[in-house]
Amino acid sequence: MKILKFLLLPYMAAVIAGAFLWPAPAQGFIGESSRIVFFHVPCAWTGALAFLVAAGYSIAYLATRNPRHDDVAAAAVRIGLLFAVLALVTGSLFAKVMWGSYWNWDPRESSFLLLIFLYAAYLFLRAAVEDPERRAKMSAAYALFSAVLMPFLFFVAPRITSSLHPQTVINSQGKILMDAPTKAVFFGALIGFTAVFFWMLSLESRSARLERAAAAARR
Amino acid sequence: MAASVSSSVSPLPSSGWGPLRRAWAVCAKDAAQELRRRIAAASLFFFAATAVTLVSFAVGPFGLPAEARDRVCSALLWIILFFCAATGLPRAFVREEETGTAYALRKVVSSSLTLAGKTLFNYVLFLAITAVTVPAFAILLEWRMGSAGALVVVMVLGGYGLSVVSTFLAALVAKASQKNVLFVVISFPLLLPLLLSAITATIAAAGGEMASTPIRVIVAYDGAATCAAYLLASAAWED
Amino acid sequence: MLATTLEARELSKAFAGPPLFTKLSFRAESGFLAVRGRNGSGKTTLLKILASLAHASSGSVSVRRGDAELAGDERRLAVGWAGPDLAFYEDFTAVENLRFFGRAGGRPAGEAAIAQRLDDVGLSGAFDRRVGAFSTGMKQRLKIAFSLLFDPPILLLDEPMIGLDADGRAIVEKAVGAQRRAGLVVLASNDSRDFLEPDQTIELGDRETADVRR
Repeated sequence: MKILKFLLLPYMAAVIAGAFLWPAPAQGFIGESSRIVFFHVPCAWTGALAFLVAAGYSIAYLATRNPRHDDVAAAAVRIGLLFAVLALVTGSLFAKVMWGSYWNWDPRESSFLLLIFLYAAYLFLRAAVEDPERRAKMSAAYALFSAVLMPFLFFVAPRITSSLHPQTVINSQGKILMDAPTKAVFFGALIGFTAVFFWMLSLESRSARLERAAAAARR
Repeated sequence: MAASVSSSVSPLPSSGWGPLRRAWAVCAKDAAQELRRRIAAASLFFFAATAVTLVSFAVGPFGLPAEARDRVCSALLWIILFFCAATGLPRAFVREEETGTAYALRKVVSSSLTLAGKTLFNYVLFLAITAVTVPAFAILLEWRMGSAGALVVVMVLGGYGLSVVSTFLAALVAKASQKNVLFVVISFPLLLPLLLSAITATIAAAGGEMASTPIRVIVAYDGAATCAAYLLASAAWED
Repeated sequence: MLATTLEARELSKAFAGPPLFTKLSFRAESGFLAVRGRNGSGKTTLLKILASLAHASSGSVSVRRGDAELAGDERRLAVGWAGPDLAFYEDFTAVENLRFFGRAGGRPAGEAAIAQRLDDVGLSGAFDRRVGAFSTGMKQRLKIAFSLLFDPPILLLDEPMIGLDADGRAIVEKAVGAQRRAGLVVLASNDSRDFLEPDQTIELGDRETADVRR
C-alpha cells in the first residue's frame, strides 16, 4: 500500500502538466481559463466528499464510541475545509476572468460558501469543548444533524438566481460535453485529487490519534 | 455474600403517563419557571424592542423605495427574529446545566422527551414574541402587509423550524464554553435555508400571496429537523 | 417476584489522565454494597456510571430483572440515585419538585403519596417553602426522597449523610435498612460510620485496580 503514496506524486505531476499542455482550451471560454476545470471541480468534489466521510465516521463513532472514528471525522472536516476554500478561490478567479467580478451569487458558489461556514462551525464547536469524549459526541451529533439539513442547504438556499456555472459537467442533457483529451485529464484529476484527499486524511487522523495519546500520557 | 434471591419491591403501577404527557410535563415545568422569573421572556422582549427601534430609527424617517420595501423589511424582520432566538432560546438547556438540575432531569426522563418538551416551550415563547414584534415592526416601518393570513402561516411554520433547531443546538452548547458566540456560529449555516425560505414567503405575504414553494420547503425542513433532533437528542445532551 | 440485578463488567473510567479505576467487575442483587475510597478516588463517578448519568471509558453496566436486561425508561425507574451533584429547582417547593419529577418520569404520584414521602424524610413542615430557602440538611433529605421516588429495587446513595443531623442520619439509616431487605442499596462514602454491616465492599484507591470484597 505504501508504494501507492509514492506513485501519487508523479501521477499528480502528470495531471498538472497535462492540464496545461495536452487538451486545447475549450470553446466559449476566455483564453486559457477553461483549464481551471481540472482543478476547480476536483477541489469542489473533494470538499463535498469530505462531508460524507465525516458524516459516516460520525455515525460510526456514535455506534461504537471508538475515538479513532472521531479522529477521522474531524480530520475529514479540516481537509474538506481546505478543499472547499480552494474550490471557492479557484471559482472566484475564474469568475473574475470570465465575467469581470469575483462574486456573482451563483447558486453553487453560495452553497460552497455555506459549506465552508458549516465546516468552520464544526471546528469552532470542537474548540469550545475540553473533554475529549464529550467533544467527540457533540461533534458527531452536530455533523449528523447538519447532514440531515444539508439537502436544504445545497438545493434550496442557492436557488434564488439562475446559475452562471458552465454546464460542461453537470448539465440538463446528462452528457459530458468534453473532447477526449479534456475528458482524460479531467477524470485523471478527479481521481488524483480524491487520492490526495484520502492520503491527507490518513495522515491527519493518524496525527490526531498520536496527539490524543500524547495528551493522555502528559496528564 | 449477598442473601439469596429475595423479593424485590412491589411492581410499578401500570397506570402511568405516556411520552406525550411526560414531554408536556417538562414544557409545563419550564413555563412555570418562566412565569416566576420571566428572564427568558424579558431578554427576548428587550432584544426585539432594541432591534426594532434601532431599525426603525435608521430606516423609518427616510422611508424605503417602494420596490425594495418588501424585500428589505422581510430580511430585516427575520434577521431580528434569528438573533432573538439566539438570545432567548438556549436558556432552556443552559439553565439546567448551570443550576445543576440536569442530573435530576436526566435521571427520570430521556433526552428525547426533554428535548421535545423544551422545544414546545421555546416555540410558544417565540410565537409570543413574534406576536408583539411583527406588528410593532410593521407599524414603525410603515410596512403594509398584503395578506396577514399568509404572514401568520409563515410565522407559525418558520417559527417552529427555528425553535426546533435552536433548542437542539442549545442542548449541544449547554456544556460548552462561549455559549453565546458558539450558538450563533453553529446555528447560522443550518438555519439559513429556513430563513431564506421564510423571507421569500414573507415577501410574498406582503404582496398579498401565499407562496407555495417556500412554504413547502419550510414544512419539509421542519419535518426533517424534528426527526433528526429527536433521534440525536441523546447524543447532544448526555454525558 | 423476580429480583433485579446490578452487574458491572470490566468498568474503567479515565478523564484526561490516569484512570480512576480499571476492570472493575461486580454483581449484586440484594443487600448492602459499600463503596469506599478517599476523596477523588472515583466513588461519585462510579455511582453516576451505575445510574446511567455518566459513561464509562470501557466496560459495561447492566440492570436485569430475571434474565431480561432493562433499558430506557424501565432502567431509569429501577435505579434510584442521590449524590452531591443532585440539585433541585430552587424556585419550586419540595412538593412541586417531586410532583414534577414524578410526572416527567411517567409515574405521577398523588398529592397524598408525595406528602407521605416528604413526611418520611421529615420535611412535612417545609411543605410550601421554596427549595431555594432550604438548609443543606433539608436539601439532603429531599435528595433521599427523590432517590426513593419510584420505589426502585436498586438504590444508589452517594454520601447520603452529608449535612444531616442525628434525626436525619436516623432517617437515612432506616431507609437503607428497608431497602437492603427489599432490594439492593449501594452506598458510597468517606465516613466508615455510614457502612452498617455491608454484604459486599468495593474499595477504590489510588491503585488502578479496585478490590471487591465480600
